[in-house]
Amino acid sequence: MRAFEEIEAALEDEEFQSALSKASLGTQAKVEEVLRSRPELLALAEEVREIKRAAIARLDELLEQAMNSLRAVRATPHLAETAEEAREIVGKLIGRGKLVVLSKSMAAAEVGLRPYLEAMGNEVWETDLGELLIQLEGTKPMHTITPAVHMSRRRAVELLEKAGAKVEGESIESAVRAAREFLRGKIVRAQAGITGANALAADTGAIVTVENESNVRLVSSLPPLHIALVPVDKVVPTLMDAIKVAMVQSAFAGLYPPTYINVISGPSSTADIERTRVYGAQGPVEQHVVFIDNGRTAARKGALAEQLYCIRCGRCQYECPVWIHTANRWGGPVYGGPMGLVWTAITYDANEAAKLSFLCLGCGRCDEACPVGIPLSRLIRELKAYAMRDLK
Amino acid sequence: MPFEPREIARLIADSMKRYGLPFPAPSDVAYSWAKGISLPSRGSPMLYTGALYQLAPYIVSIVDYTSLLEGSSLSSLGLKLSRHLPPSVLRIAVRPREEVRAYVERVLRSIVKLLERSGIRPAYAYEDDMYSGVLLYDLGLDELFAEQARKVFKALKARGAQEVIAVDPHTTHVLRSVYPKYVDGFDLSVRSYLEVISASAVGRGEVVVHDPCLYARFENVVEQPRKLLEGAGYKVLEPRRSRRMTYCCGGPIEGLAPKIAKKIARVRLSELSEKSSLIATMCPICYINLAEVASRERVEDIALLLAGEVK
Ligand code: SF4
Repeated sequence: MRAFEEIEAALEDEEFQSALSKASLGTQAKVEEVLRSRPELLALAEEVREIKRAAIARLDELLEQAMNSLRAVRATPHLAETAEEAREIVGKLIGRGKLVVLSKSMAAAEVGLRPYLEAMGNEVWETDLGELLIQLEGTKPMHTITPAVHMSRRRAVELLEKAGAKVEGESIESAVRAAREFLRGKIVRAQAGITGANALAADTGAIVTVENESNVRLVSSLPPLHIALVPVDKVVPTLMDAIKVAMVQSAFAGLYPPTYINVISGPSSTADIERTRVYGAQGPVEQHVVFIDNGRTAARKGALAEQLYCIRCGRCQYECPVWIHTANRWGGPVYGGPMGLVWTAITYDANEAAKLSFLCLGCGRCDEACPVGIPLSRLIRELKAYAMRDLK
Repeated sequence: MPFEPREIARLIADSMKRYGLPFPAPSDVAYSWAKGISLPSRGSPMLYTGALYQLAPYIVSIVDYTSLLEGSSLSSLGLKLSRHLPPSVLRIAVRPREEVRAYVERVLRSIVKLLERSGIRPAYAYEDDMYSGVLLYDLGLDELFAEQARKVFKALKARGAQEVIAVDPHTTHVLRSVYPKYVDGFDLSVRSYLEVISASAVGRGEVVVHDPCLYARFENVVEQPRKLLEGAGYKVLEPRRSRRMTYCCGGPIEGLAPKIAKKIARVRLSELSEKSSLIATMCPICYINLAEVASRERVEDIALLLAGEVK
């Protein structure tokens, strides 16, 4: 199994090991400090826990409401049952020979969107710096929020230069400056921008995203077409709920305060001439939301249902003693670590996830870390039991 | 494929059927430590070890053996005991390490001493001190686990147990929090010995505590060990990650992925030793994993520290 060879290689890679150890110790301390100094965020996490529980319980109803709300703000909703359908829907919207920019989205990775669009003859660029580095390296995101956590500055500069960015000097600042120039050139010319979402509000059709780089803002507002990929578990009842999800996600990722929280409800418009509403002011003319099921609805009835509360903060990864040595090389083709094992089982292949689950210590540190109280170690033990189900 | 947890599970299942133990070991392995201590063989509270301490020396030798295979063609990741290994090889592999065997015997005897010193004279089931099935549960072998759990419950009830005193976090956890889900009518009250004993002044100096994951996060045995150590005369120091956010020793995956397990043990040992070179453990698996990577540090089971039995 290739996954184990990759883990083996990661264990021997000193650069990888030291980058991860530094990043996880740093993030652990950061999150602890954020939560210690702002206990209101712990209370907010409790609230989000209840919001998610209630939302997943009436997901069908909320999804329908969300679709209607999206239509009301002149956005176009789509529902993809599978990863393949999601790719096809986006492929049709974009067509061929276009310049497309992406903001970091695990949903896009889950459905294999970038390679699909490229194969259709589009030029596609990741605009989150970490994700761009992953694209250039040809690997997979090593963490949910910080995809290039395993990479040294030397490696980052090397990759950026190979792509054609002009990095002057060796500093991290000059690498970031070069990436900024490089990506701006792409974003202003792009015909389509694709983002994920932290949450989508059923009452308004509002998409909420949280970020620090400002690339989500650019990708969702400069190109004439904006497509948001939204896994169905991200639908919550109200816009207030959606903002709370974004706040908690950011706090538990150790990025607090978030630099930007974006709310997008439909394409841009103006009614400044004769009070007639025209769509396509400075932002997109058209906006589409592609809801992705890909195993989620089915998971609601199974032993892994609680994973659907996940808000993708990635804290369970940074706190996991095993993940700290493997990053997302452990967990499946897209997702990794504790949450990743379960998401792999839900969205990809339960057998694959079950095989990988035996590297879990069952130590429960992830359970303790999770803002929404997902009993990760119990769910992972369910995967082990699944692997052994025929042994008596 | 190098990674074969199912093969390991098969060996364990086979051994359970033959010996009632997860790996081949002498039939008196669970209670030979108690020879010469006369405890009533029926009654309540009942001391129940679940044989985890006693099996620890066997686990070490499996790990020793499997580590030898690391890097060989049989195992990438050191994920061993593959299908290529017949059970006969396993049997050779599990000759226990003598010094560990002697150590865990001292720990168990100290626990009896601590209970008696606290005015508790427990019963002990001797040949009915059966393996609890912890490993079966951890590996996801649910049916075998349920079967074992029912056997253990029945045996303890037959010997008149109402209250059970367990001696390690894994056994405490499965009996208290998992058995009730698998055994109909389970009605034993289960506590760790650390929850029932009182302290007497026997030690001094500084000690850093290593909370085992299951006590700290699943069984809320967090403050008692600290109070006991303080009562015994120690100054208790906390590592950076402690109490509910304690950090694993790596032990649970030692048998499947020793390379990762060792890395985890080293990380934990180094943060413990920042605080004190004397480290208190409360679990045989933690003890073994930390002691394996220790050099200048001294790892001691809390029972020996509390009983004043450290050499
Ligand atoms: S499982 Fe919990 S801790 Fe892990 S990413 Fe999801 S919300 Fe965060």
